[in-house]
Amino acid sequence: MSSVSTYEIIDHTADLGIIVKGPDVEQLFIRAALAMTELMVKGDSSDIVSTSEVVVQGEDFPDLMVRWLGEILYLFEGEDLIVHSIEIKSIGPVQLQATLTLSSFKPERHQVLREIKAVTYHGISVGKANSGWEARVIFDI
Amino acid sequence: MDFKIKKIDEWRFLIPKTGAMRVPGLIFSSSELMPNIKDDQSLLQVVNVATLPGIVKHSLAMPDIHWGYGFPIGGVAAFRVEDGIISPGGVGYDINCGTRLLTTALFASEVRPKTKALVSALFKEIPTGVGSRGKIRLSKREESEVAVKGASWAVKKGYGTKEDLERTEDQGVMKGADPEVVSDRAYKRGHDQLGTLGSGNHFLEIQSVDEIYDEDTASAFGLFEGQLTVFIHSGSRGFGHQICDDFLKEMATHVRQLGFDLPDRQLACAYIGSDMGKRYLAGMACAANYAWANRQMIMHWTRETFEKSLEVSPNDLKMELLYDVCHNIGKLETHVVDGKKLTLCVHRKGATRSLPPGHPDVPHRYREVGQPVLIPGDMGTCSYILAGSQGAMEESFGSTCHGAGRALSRKQAIKAAKGRAIDRELEDRGIFVQSRGKTTLKEEISEAYKDVSLVVEAVHMAGLAKKVAKLRPLGVIKG
Repeated sequence: MSSVSTYEIIDHTADLGIIVKGPDVEQLFIRAALAMTELMVKGDSSDIVSTSEVVVQGEDFPDLMVRWLGEILYLFEGEDLIVHSIEIKSIGPVQLQATLTLSSFKPERHQVLREIKAVTYHGISVGKANSGWEARVIFDI
Repeated sequence: MDFKIKKIDEWRFLIPKTGAMRVPGLIFSSSELMPNIKDDQSLLQVVNVATLPGIVKHSLAMPDIHWGYGFPIGGVAAFRVEDGIISPGGVGYDINCGTRLLTTALFASEVRPKTKALVSALFKEIPTGVGSRGKIRLSKREESEVAVKGASWAVKKGYGTKEDLERTEDQGVMKGADPEVVSDRAYKRGHDQLGTLGSGNHFLEIQSVDEIYDEDTASAFGLFEGQLTVFIHSGSRGFGHQICDDFLKEMATHVRQLGFDLPDRQLACAYIGSDMGKRYLAGMACAANYAWANRQMIMHWTRETFEKSLEVSPNDLKMELLYDVCHNIGKLETHVVDGKKLTLCVHRKGATRSLPPGHPDVPHRYREVGQPVLIPGDMGTCSYILAGSQGAMEESFGSTCHGAGRALSRKQAIKAAKGRAIDRELEDRGIFVQSRGKTTLKEEISEAYKDVSLVVEAVHMAGLAKKVAKLRPLGVIKG
């Protein structure tokens, strides 16, 4: 897993949120996905097992972000796959296409830090900020 | 949105109807709890819920209210079936998250020297599901059966007895479940998580009955002072989380065609009578049933572990289910509002049902005293058993609080726990705790929660439920 500390944790009484920043929208979506992964699991994920093409559709950037992170969460929770790196092929407000490099979750190599139940729409924001892009996402944990 | 808070009496606070609110907000609380509630944005969430179509009487908040996503946690809202909505966010991701309490014939003092070994054995036998999976793997067909049959599926497979079902809310099965509306992703997430505790605030706790407030009701519940009890808190795991998530996403798009504005996207909803509303209800019932089967299996392994660890026979242990209640659910119920009988969809998100004596849905054995209400506190203080009261039927659609409610965010809790060995601190106070992740213990420290005693006092004094007994923790396992 790439080491990214391009996010900060938001204080929210019941749940956990992140504020992510990126120079452009591609980096923002990549960093948000890696940040969420970093909150869920730690360990050596350099042992790549597969790559996967994903297409996510949404109504606008905030909706797209919720659905995109939901995809990454499902891969971990449903398929035991950890995202190692991401290449965004194309992105617009209603669609994102990406290639994910994935490694398998192995209890002997990884430690689950916390279970994220879902990515919520609560207080979601994605947009331009200062010289780059910024997103605010709250997870249910 | 600007709103005011008007104190009605010591235990009730009103948010008068303003702006887009269709009904006023009503908060059950106390002067000690209110300042903390005002600190976060949970009251704004009470106001937001009050704007939703078909809401009846009040947008309600229990004294353990805290800032949730969309709906507040500790919120209750009832909507008319004819023109009202149902919202997955008003039920929560952990559909039928709930608790069950097991009583025994043993005194806690007899078991105290063996608590540490018992906690280790429970930790080994009951999968938390964090970083490892459950003991059983289900095919999609089996999962569909669980989704329809609930706790009775588990009993049929040998996990517990028929008597357990009689002591479970709705006998552990919600009608109207349709496994066809559940996505493959939900089945995939749920296939190896049945019979797992989960993480966060979920736990299994060994306790002793510390104080009895109402002798007659305690006796009807089979409780006595010094008794060893076990409290289980878990839900529908990834199966339920995915079902909520799937429908929220569908409804986020669907709600835009309905012609009303939402103050928060997380409030996405559908009319109860619409195809979308009906499909969600059918999917939610599947998750509710999965949760009941889940808690039933965890209880079965708890019984086995106690018998083995303590070397006692089932007859000597007498580990019986007192009751099982859900505290994240949407239910079609009949209530009398302003003298009229109405069918309503009652959303309880972090709120427990609280049926009074005589209510037909209270099991026969408890009908004279009211439904047992189980209120877990944090892992270092205490939990409570209450009994449902008539006041709840009159004011809160048969609902009361569900727990202590968070006071600190997880980030604040981790900061407060920095440099401390939480497990050792608890052990010094005679509470043995074992947890899969160190982060969980820090996030769940006692200081992170409101004082559960103040919360329980508020619902007792407001007449939403009455205090029966207090329980003290001896040992805890967490995810």
